Amino acid sequence: MTTFLQVFMTGILTGGVYALVGIGLSLIFGVMRIVNFAHGEFVALGMYTSLLLFQSMGIDPYLALPLIIVGGILLGALVERVFIAPIIAAPEHVSILMTVGVGLVISNLLLFGFGAHPQSIFTWYSTKTVRVGGVTFSGPLSVSFLITLAVILGLYWVLTRTEIGRAMRATAQNRDAAELQGINTAVARMLAFGIGVALAAVSGTLLLPVLYVIPTIGGVFTLKAFVVTVLGGMGNVLGAIGGGLILGVTESLGAAYISSGYRDAFGLIAFLAVLLLRPAGLFGKSRV
Amino acid sequence: MRERFKTLAWIGAVLVAFTLYPWIFPTKLNLGVVIVLFAGMATAWDILGGWAGQLSLGHAALVGIGGYTLALLSLRAGIPPWWGLLAGMALTSVVAAMWGWIVFRLRGPYFVLSTIAVAEILRLVAINWKNLTGGAEGLFLRELPRPFGLDLFDRTVEFYLGLAFLGIALLVVWWLSWSRFGYSLQAIREDQDSAMAMGINPTSTKILAFALSAALTAAGGSLYAIYLSFFEPHIVLDIGLSVELALIAYIGGAGTVFGPTIGAVVLLGAADLFRNYFQQANLLIYGILIILVVRFAPEGIVGGWHVLLRRLTRPAPVVPVEVRGERP
Repeated sequence: MTTFLQVFMTGILTGGVYALVGIGLSLIFGVMRIVNFAHGEFVALGMYTSLLLFQSMGIDPYLALPLIIVGGILLGALVERVFIAPIIAAPEHVSILMTVGVGLVISNLLLFGFGAHPQSIFTWYSTKTVRVGGVTFSGPLSVSFLITLAVILGLYWVLTRTEIGRAMRATAQNRDAAELQGINTAVARMLAFGIGVALAAVSGTLLLPVLYVIPTIGGVFTLKAFVVTVLGGMGNVLGAIGGGLILGVTESLGAAYISSGYRDAFGLIAFLAVLLLRPAGLFGKSRV
Repeated sequence: MRERFKTLAWIGAVLVAFTLYPWIFPTKLNLGVVIVLFAGMATAWDILGGWAGQLSLGHAALVGIGGYTLALLSLRAGIPPWWGLLAGMALTSVVAAMWGWIVFRLRGPYFVLSTIAVAEILRLVAINWKNLTGGAEGLFLRELPRPFGLDLFDRTVEFYLGLAFLGIALLVVWWLSWSRFGYSLQAIREDQDSAMAMGINPTSTKILAFALSAALTAAGGSLYAIYLSFFEPHIVLDIGLSVELALIAYIGGAGTVFGPTIGAVVLLGAADLFRNYFQQANLLIYGILIILVVRFAPEGIVGGWHVLLRRLTRPAPVVPVEVRGERP
C-alpha cells in the first residue's frame, strides 16, 4: 500500500508540472486556434535560461522565476507578432509548419550555444526529501508543485478578473463578436501566446533542479503537452490540469507496475484512445 | 495531354541528369545516395501530405518498418534483401491501411497529432522489444547476398538502386498528376465536403493514398537500411526523421511532381556544405527555410519559381480599381 501511495504521489507531483506545460498549450489553442508545435522548445529555453543564470551569476532557479515569467511573456508576444500573426488566417497546416520551424530554430540555436552534452545544476536542495507518513516526497518536485498551484491560481485570476483576461476569453469564444465589442483581438492573441510561452518556460525552470537537460529535450515536452491538452480537451484550460495529473499518475503507475521501458507509451496510448473516442476531452466542452 | 508528356519528359531528363552524379562528384557518393533516397521518400510522403493534404509527422514509422523488415528477415531467416524489401512494402501498406482506418476519422490538427503518437509508440516498441529488434543497440547488417554479382554495400550500386527508387516514386506522382485518383486526392485536399458531394469517398481514398505512400516510403527505408548497414530506433524511427521528410517536401513544393526532389537536393546539399560550420545543428537550415517558405512562398521553391517566371514573362497585373475602394 505504501508503495502504491508512493508511486501515486510521485505521479501527482510530476503531473503538476505536466499540467503547467499543458495549460499554456491549451490557452494558446483556445484563444488562437493553433497548435503550438514549438511548445516544448520553450520549456527547454526556460531550462537553459535558468541554467545560464545559475552558472554565470549564481541565481537560484526559484529566484529567477519572476524574470522567466516576464521574459517569457515578452518573447512569446514577439514570436506571435513576427511569425504567427501574419499567417493566423491561413489553413491549419500552415501554422503547424510555422511552429515546427520556430521549434527547430530554437532547439538548434540551443545546440549551437550550449553543445549537445547533458547538463544539470546541483543546488543544496536537489536531493532533499520530505517524509509524510511512509511516503517520501522529492523536495524540488514538492516546491514546484506548490509554485505550479500558485501560478495556476494567478492565471485563473487574470483570466476571470482582469480586463485583458476577459478579452482573451471573449476572443476564444468568438473572435468576430469580440472584435465587434471593441476588443483588440490581435493584442489578446499576442498576450495569450506570451502567457503560454511563459508558462512553458516556468515549467522548464521548475524541472531544472531534478533533470538533466539537453537541447533536444523540447520534443519530449511538446509531446507531453499534446497528451495533456487532448486528455483535458483542446482549449480547455481547467481540463489541462486534470489532464496533467492523469498523465503523471498513469506514467508513474504504468512504469512501476507494468514496464518502465514503456513509461512514455502509456500516455500516448491514453492520448490515442481519447482522440478517437472522446475528441472533446475527458471533461466535456467548456473552454478557456 | 501535352502537359502530361512534357512532365514525363522532364522526369526522364532529371533521372538522366542524376545518372551523371557519380562521375561529377565521385567523392560525394554518400551524399548522393542520401539525396536520391530522401528525394524518393519525400516524394512518397507527398502523396499523402501534399497531394491528399493530410499532413503526417509519423512517416519515420514507415521508414523504420521497411528497414527493420529487410534487416530482420535477412539476419534471422537468411531471406535475400529483395524479398525483404517487397515484404516490407507489403507489411507497411497493410499497417498504413489499418492505421488510416483508425485515424482518418480525425481531421486537421488531431490527425497530425495522432500520426506522431502512433510513430512514437512504434519507436518505444522497437526500443523495448529487444529479442526481436535488438533494442536500442540496434542491428548490424554484416553481409548480404550479391544479386548479379553486385555488392549491395558498394556506394555506386546503392546510388543507382536509390535512383531507380526515386524514378518509380516520380512516375507514381506523375500518374497522380493526371489520373482520376490524383484528382480525387486534390479534391479532398481542397474541400473534403465538396469532394464528398461529388461522390468521392474521402476515407477510402485517403486510406489508399496512405497505403501507396507507405509502401514507397518503406521501399526507401529498406534501401536506407542497407546504406546505413548499422541502424537503431533512434535513427530510423525518430520523429526528427518524420519532420525532415515533411519539411523537404514542403520546402521544395508540396503537391508538385518535382518539389520534394528539389527540396532534397537543396536541403541536403546545403546541410552538407555547411556541415563543418553547423556541426550537429544542421536542422537549423530546415527551420529557417520552412519559416520563410510558409511566410513568403506557401507553394515552396517550385511555386516561388512559377511566380517568378510569370512576373518575368508577363506584364504586371493591373489592380482592379474597386479593390482600392474608389470608383472612377
